[in-house]
Amino acid sequence: MSIEFLDPTHEDARGDFALAPRLETLSGAVVAVVSNGKKGTIPFFDAFERELVETYRVAEVVRMTKGNYSTPVEPELLDEASRWNALVAGIGD
Amino acid sequence: MTHRHTLSSKRYCLDDISAVQEWFHSRQWSDGLPVVPPTEALVGDCLEWALLAPDHLIGVEPVRTRLITAEKVAINAVMAGCLPMHFPVVVAAITAMLQDPFVLHGATASTGGCAVLIVVNGPVRRELGMDATFNALGPGDRASTAIGRAIRLVLYNLLDVRPGQVDRSTLGHPGKLSYCLAEDEENTPWLPLAEERNVPEHASAVTVMAAGAPRQIMNEWTTDPTALLDTFVAEMKACMRHYSIWPGNYAIVVPPQLRAHFDAAGWSKADIRNYVFEHARVRRSEWAECGKGAVVGDKGEREHAALPSPEHLLVIAAGGPAGGFGAVIPPWFGRTSQAVTLAIGACVDCEV
Repeated sequence: MSIEFLDPTHEDARGDFALAPRLETLSGAVVAVVSNGKKGTIPFFDAFERELVETYRVAEVVRMTKGNYSTPVEPELLDEASRWNALVAGIGD
Repeated sequence: MTHRHTLSSKRYCLDDISAVQEWFHSRQWSDGLPVVPPTEALVGDCLEWALLAPDHLIGVEPVRTRLITAEKVAINAVMAGCLPMHFPVVVAAITAMLQDPFVLHGATASTGGCAVLIVVNGPVRRELGMDATFNALGPGDRASTAIGRAIRLVLYNLLDVRPGQVDRSTLGHPGKLSYCLAEDEENTPWLPLAEERNVPEHASAVTVMAAGAPRQIMNEWTTDPTALLDTFVAEMKACMRHYSIWPGNYAIVVPPQLRAHFDAAGWSKADIRNYVFEHARVRRSEWAECGKGAVVGDKGEREHAALPSPEHLLVIAAGGPAGGFGAVIPPWFGRTSQAVTLAIGACVDCEV
């Protein structure tokens, strides 16, 4: 005897997030970098910042750190977002 | 004949039960155990019992704004083995987890690997045959196991909290299969946990907590309440030294043999909370004794309390009649997530 059953998943086809528009160049851009606050992000983002500036000629790197590893970024940290060309979020353990 | 709402979920049809099981496992729609096929009839029975329309919005996952509907929760509850009468408890637990203080995304995604502890209070425990005595933290009655498992399947299928996907747990723990217990309200003079947390007397309620694995203690060599609590406190301090020093909700589970000594001495849950709050403290320098000297820095004399306040300790009466045991259940990550208590059937956003 066949069994008919229902889909248990969210069936949400929209996806959780849309990709941001890609930049044509990083040269002269302002790039924000948000760390989750774990110590491992410090050397990683130091090197990342150097790479952005020296290799890709980024004009300014804005570094910031969330208040808690496990919660979303505080809205006030994003107050200046309108002047950024890109934002990179990263975690480190 | 009762009118049934139309369910909107996609339907599948397979030849037999074995094919259904393989279908679920191959898609990571199960936790590794067999599931009850969520047929329209069984899912409809759950919704009807709870008097919820299929599209009733139980809540919105706050980080990804996922809508959690009654139909989808009911499907996962059926899969977990829930009967219709179990479903309102599942709904209440999910509703509580969706409240901001619980920090659902962080608690379920973190490498820390906690589970959702569910404590059930009120008349619903007896209606569902929940057993708060023998093996209280292990498998036992049907309702406790199925309700706890339903929570995990909802996380799997509605929020993609599967290992390696949203769930980034390094280790996790066995409570992630099911971590639900009732409080033994009949065999204690203590106030039920939910009533202490402002749910009206005689109302049924759930408390959810982002919780680590239980750590069992033993002390059957004293009747002194402070000595008994010193054993619980020692385990909490061990957790602070070995795991996380940050304060948050801890739960302690106190079985009858130990409760008898507190009762004889006239100790209430509030007395216990105050004692533990004062004594469960370590100095940061103690980290150096267990391999964490690198993070002591110049703050060695700083004192850290396990509890931000006495009210952060959840005291739960449960366990079998014999044995001088107890359990400490630590928080996932300090006070990042707060335990939430909610009456079953309560509306969290209705205007009063």
